[in-house]
Amino acid sequence: MKHYELAVKFYKTQGPRHDRALWTIRQKRDKAIKEVDEWEELRKKASKIKDEVINYLQDYVNEFIRNAKNQGIEVYFAKDADEHNRIVLNLLKEINAKKVVKSKSMLTEECGLNEYLEKKGIEVIDTDLGERIVQLRKEKPSHIVLPAIHTTKEEVAEILGETNTDPTYLTHKMRKLLRNEFLSADAGVSGANFLVADKGWAVVCTNEGNADLGAVLPKLHIISVGIEKIVPNMRDLGIFLRMLARNATGQKITTYTSIFGHKKNGKRVIVLVDNGRFEKLNTEFKETLKCIRCSACLTTCPVFRRSGGHAYRYVIPGPIGSLLAPLVDKEEYSDLPFACTLCNSCEMVCPVKIPFSKQLVKMREYVTKENFAFKLAEKSMHSPLLFKLFSTILRLTPTPLLKKAIKEWSKYKILPKIPPKRFIS
Amino acid sequence: MKIALHIPCYINELNPEIAKKTLLILRHFNLDIKVPKEQTCCGQPFINSGHPTTLPNQFNELFKSFDYIVSPSSSCVSTIRAQNLEVSKKTFELVEFLHDILKVKNIAKNYPKKIALHNSCHSLRHLFEGSPSELNIPYFNKIKEVLGCEVAEASRDECCGFGGVFSIKEGFISYVMGRNKLDDLLSKNPDVITGVDFSCLMHLESIAKKDKDNIEIKHISEILWECLDETL
Repeated sequence: MKHYELAVKFYKTQGPRHDRALWTIRQKRDKAIKEVDEWEELRKKASKIKDEVINYLQDYVNEFIRNAKNQGIEVYFAKDADEHNRIVLNLLKEINAKKVVKSKSMLTEECGLNEYLEKKGIEVIDTDLGERIVQLRKEKPSHIVLPAIHTTKEEVAEILGETNTDPTYLTHKMRKLLRNEFLSADAGVSGANFLVADKGWAVVCTNEGNADLGAVLPKLHIISVGIEKIVPNMRDLGIFLRMLARNATGQKITTYTSIFGHKKNGKRVIVLVDNGRFEKLNTEFKETLKCIRCSACLTTCPVFRRSGGHAYRYVIPGPIGSLLAPLVDKEEYSDLPFACTLCNSCEMVCPVKIPFSKQLVKMREYVTKENFAFKLAEKSMHSPLLFKLFSTILRLTPTPLLKKAIKEWSKYKILPKIPPKRFIS
Repeated sequence: MKIALHIPCYINELNPEIAKKTLLILRHFNLDIKVPKEQTCCGQPFINSGHPTTLPNQFNELFKSFDYIVSPSSSCVSTIRAQNLEVSKKTFELVEFLHDILKVKNIAKNYPKKIALHNSCHSLRHLFEGSPSELNIPYFNKIKEVLGCEVAEASRDECCGFGGVFSIKEGFISYVMGRNKLDDLLSKNPDVITGVDFSCLMHLESIAKKDKDNIEIKHISEILWECLDETL
């Protein structure tokens, strides 16, 4: 099913609640960013830093690897999802791991790590509250920062076998269940929000401290991370840390912001993943590599708020997802750049100033096949005479495209009346 | 000052009155206005539906000899601005032109009806005729300044759901967004809803008619001309 069908289904059951919940977060975000006088300056700086990183990506990757290795972190470079999964599996096999606690990582979702490890007989426990909820519901996250925003407290109670639907009660119940998993896990896997090139450190931001437990308790901690997450130095990191949580949820900073270097009580491994990122540098969509996955473009998108994230069917939904998914599968995701009104709200909230509207229009061109009717129409626009003829024909005979347009309008709206006389006749 | 009027093709076909009112408003300020008869389309419907077009270049050739090009549509103006053409910086939306170039304000100071303004996305987040709520910049709204009367705005400055090709591809969500926008604006108890983009207003009016809302919806040029027309 395509976005427009899934959107209708979702809206009719969850839409208004989902829209209100996310709009509330958008308002919290607005309030939080307005507390920072230099917010618009920070966006310019962050954008420049990310431009620099993607323009010299290979150099920064080399610098990061060198500095991470120097302090005793094992570093691997995986060219694609398969290689990433194999590397992680081998690391787990080495210590004969049976159970892994995972904290949120969109990259491991991108690589399908959970399914891969489970097929190989390794149990994977997601430990972020929202991620655990969707894991127990056998679903995928519908939002990259609020993975279970599409579910209700009643549904959460149901999967925990509870009748009490109080969110605090349910959170405590989940916490208790997860504590046992942390204590019995053989390894922890997490993502990283940032990699500091000149230090070789990985920065992980969470609100639940689950990544920290997974990083510290088991003997082995694996960090799976995309190469575009690099920032040059600690000074630059400061800019992003000031922006990330404010822009995502309206918090001043995430509850836990942990900087990981060498692991004293065991082994820390970083798996750097390319999976098409270097290749993207040579396309018109290279600016999408600036994304820090703050999720503000999802939360603000008026279509996303009403359609829910699952309508996008890709691991990263919303405006940024619509710029990523078609490059993974052009046919399957050709509808996504059109699940958008070009309202430009995404571009306004983007902390690294990705030019969303331009990119979405380019993506529309990328997924669109040549169409005879459009070609003919475009030709006719080049001559005032043909243009008049064309619009007169349009007025008189509905073509299949026009019929479809009229059908969609008439379902929910009254068609406007066409006046007999034009201004320029 | 040589000024050309750009008439968006959809306005020429679906509401030529807006073109007429725009011309009358500009003439009211004693400007030399030409309406090039050879104009067709800025290319937006093609660009936004993923079909490459050279129409913006044609637009450029036709209009580049003028000092200013004025158009009663922020989405057409945005299309031209986004192209980096000779005309890009000289092309203005009607209210933007009144505000930035002619520096006229308070035209509708004594307007007897309560107005609710729909800030369309192209006006707000592409042309910056007002301050989008997403940004940390001081509040302003050029349309309200030009009107100069009591004007209510929607609580959420989000999209009305028209989006051109979007309204055809995703009819239902487009309707829901339009319904939400109407409810938001109607909660301000206006006599009339207005805006600078007829496309959004047409979409909202089509929904209001179907759902039987009792509300007048008018393009900004109609309100401005009502206030300027001395024969009334």
